[in-house]
Amino acid sequence: MKELQIKAAELLENGTVNLLIGFSEDLGKRPVPCFIETSAEANMLVFNQECKNNLSVYLHKKEVKDAVKIGLVANVATLRSVLQLLSENQLWSLTLTYLTVNGAGELVVLSSAEELEAYVQANFPTCRPEDQEMIDKLNAMSREERWAFWKDQLSECVKCYACRAVCPMCYCTVCTTECNQPQWIKTSAQTSGNFEYHTMRAMHLAGRCINCGECGRICPAGIPVHLLTAQMNQEMEKEFGGKTGWSLKGGYALNTFKPGDKENFIK
Amino acid sequence: MDTNQYIPYQVRIADIIDEAPLVRTYRLEFTDPSANFTFKAGQFAEYGVFGEGESTFCIASSPTREGYIECTFRSSGRVTKALANCEINDIIGLRGPFGKAFPIEEWYGKDIVFITGGIGLPPLRCVIWNVLDQREKFGKVSIYYGARTVADLVYKEELENWKSRPDVDLFLTVDPGGETKDWKDNIGFVPTIIEQNLPSSKNAIAIVAGPPILIKMSMPILAKCGFANDKIFTTLENRMKCGVGKCGHCTVGKTYVCKDGPVFTYEEVLQMPQEY
Amino acid sequence: MELKLISTSDIAVFVDGLLKAGKVVVAPVLKQSGKVFFKPVQSFAEVATDYIQTAFSAKEVVFPKVEELFTYQHNEDGSLDIKDQLDRIPETVVWGLRPCDAAGFDYLNKFFLQENPDAYFKARYDKTTLVTISCSKCDESCFCTSVDSHPGDTKGSDILLTAMDGKYYVEVMTEKGSLLITSNSTLFTSTDTLSKDAFLAKPVTHFAMEEIKDKIQNAYASVEWKQASMGCFSCGACAFACPTCTCFDIQDEGTQDHGKRVRCWDACGLSLFTKHSSGHNPRNTQTERRRQRLMHKFKYSVENLGVVSCVGCGRCIRVCPSHLNIFENILSVTK
Repeated sequence: MKELQIKAAELLENGTVNLLIGFSEDLGKRPVPCFIETSAEANMLVFNQECKNNLSVYLHKKEVKDAVKIGLVANVATLRSVLQLLSENQLWSLTLTYLTVNGAGELVVLSSAEELEAYVQANFPTCRPEDQEMIDKLNAMSREERWAFWKDQLSECVKCYACRAVCPMCYCTVCTTECNQPQWIKTSAQTSGNFEYHTMRAMHLAGRCINCGECGRICPAGIPVHLLTAQMNQEMEKEFGGKTGWSLKGGYALNTFKPGDKENFIK
Repeated sequence: MDTNQYIPYQVRIADIIDEAPLVRTYRLEFTDPSANFTFKAGQFAEYGVFGEGESTFCIASSPTREGYIECTFRSSGRVTKALANCEINDIIGLRGPFGKAFPIEEWYGKDIVFITGGIGLPPLRCVIWNVLDQREKFGKVSIYYGARTVADLVYKEELENWKSRPDVDLFLTVDPGGETKDWKDNIGFVPTIIEQNLPSSKNAIAIVAGPPILIKMSMPILAKCGFANDKIFTTLENRMKCGVGKCGHCTVGKTYVCKDGPVFTYEEVLQMPQEY
Repeated sequence: MELKLISTSDIAVFVDGLLKAGKVVVAPVLKQSGKVFFKPVQSFAEVATDYIQTAFSAKEVVFPKVEELFTYQHNEDGSLDIKDQLDRIPETVVWGLRPCDAAGFDYLNKFFLQENPDAYFKARYDKTTLVTISCSKCDESCFCTSVDSHPGDTKGSDILLTAMDGKYYVEVMTEKGSLLITSNSTLFTSTDTLSKDAFLAKPVTHFAMEEIKDKIQNAYASVEWKQASMGCFSCGACAFACPTCTCFDIQDEGTQDHGKRVRCWDACGLSLFTKHSSGHNPRNTQTERRRQRLMHKFKYSVENLGVVSCVGCGRCIRVCPSHLNIFENILSVTK
């Protein structure tokens, strides 16, 4: 990815960017997130279909925020996350430049939130076929079958919170799980507590999750937790309309009120 | 019970004393007469409210006084708030004693200087009682103690008692602005009061405990008076859970504050990574 | 030590025999996600064979992710009953460990029992026999040869099996292992010492442990820690997958009237691990927390127990969502 490396070096050299978050390769030729601050390091950058990590999650780290001018190498799912974060008034202290590769294999540089919005809307991703297949299967299940499915899956959860850590939308400084007065969610990894945690998370992500799929991909226990939030989100779209990670304009279903909102749940 | 360190003793709250806003002392008695609980000054215990959890405080009474133990705590988190809601005759859990004690036997014949502030007095009261209960074994005893306001001073009755003793030099103070109209003692931060009444380091041991800022400001003064770092003792507080050096919460470098401490010399503290 | 042979086809008979004798057998099982986990099995047919490493270690057998310490119950007369379940641990065989995992159990043994012996660990460990299988394959995350071990190491195992052309070479290391063989002695024949070398994987050696043990003494102040932990966002995946991580939390679950006290896995990487109720946090940044993890594995464990607590299994590298690499980090901070 020579073009990407040259551009990255240029941005670092001319001070547009103080810190660039991208991908390099490890010893096994696997793409891993990397953080570079000098143009000389730019030649370690790679970008291909295997670069799946949603690098926007690092934008919440203090060590990254301190750099203020950040470059982000991103696939379109990552860009969509950033758009959602911007619509939630996060990242306001940062000046972001985005580097991505379009469908034709060309390097695209986006230097403003407006350019980001236009690009994402023009290249809006659809749900991955394998995820849609699973969501359809889950929707077709009876309530009892779905309960049994998730009970079986969530009994494997060890409560490592990797799913929460890797999610760009989980940026609360004190998570509900970290509150002990009262102890909303049990800390131990038992099925009931695991249920509490994952359903709480799905609720907190309803209307916000862009289904990058990272939480499920990286789960050490192999639980497809991304299906919970993705399925929840499809329900939200059906009920309330709107698409997550689509626009800079703020507001999502659970934090906005419109006079025309349905009230058919009040009986 | 003695092979499983996670099973608590059952203790009854025999008396409750409200020391200061949010600060209480509980006098505890063991429900099992064969418990044979013995400890040394400086050791701590895990006090538990079943259903809420356990909290760590030093044992604030002295082994020279038998039949009960006392703890003093400030209500700040989930467990201490639940503890504060307890009443006389309630049963709570107690695990311990844990940790290394102050080497009081090595201090016979020496002058002892206590420096502490606010809620830092309870961890030192065990030593103060231990020393005063064997007063003839020690040299001069000086206590420098202060709090933000008069109301925040703990063990108010005992302070009066220590003040009236001719064989104890008590330097009592409150922060400027913390005095009441009838306050007769010093006004000023504890380190300032120490500066005004410098202790001699000759054949002396200093024990410092309390808020980190107090420790930080007192150490240079003690150094000026000639106290070597291995003659200054402190008791460290860190987040603790198991109390026996297994859960990992209290580690500072390779040191477990619960089992290698909580009593350390200042020399030992300086050798640790400064992560406490 | 006894040396035996068993034919490959008799392995299933041996394991099924253990199950028939009423032992709990915990072995690697392939799940739908494609990952392999240690799970109790009902027959040898369930055991996975073609994989490099399990996702999580087998430490759950002796150090469960949630362990009941005791139950408590207030009675009408005002008395309080406290009961533990230490006498209800079943005889267990862990089958199919890797040598790195067995070395992990060796560390756990030292950590939990050497000082202030842990009654719960002891009750489980005493009833557990560890059967290890040497590694014929490895991947780029494996680095056991960098931490004083190798794919045919017997450390920590009760029995070590090495696959060799239609048979397994059986090294019976302990009394516990001996008892297991005796229970099915007809399947085994004695043998002289055989060389395992040709049948073992050859992981890359990234550093010499003695050199690291020396250089890590000054690593605390290294400026490389920040870069080494940039990708870390404070989850517990590495600690929970690790065969030697032992940190835990103690929680009460129930009401003030009745319930239980449990201990559950915790991780020094989680941001609340050292936070005081006053709000003061001695390790306030991720850099400090990651430094603690690595310094503990390679320096503090040595100072306290005489051994490095990293066994080179590579799980932390495989599970980390940011692909942080422990041996690369160790090399950079000890440069």
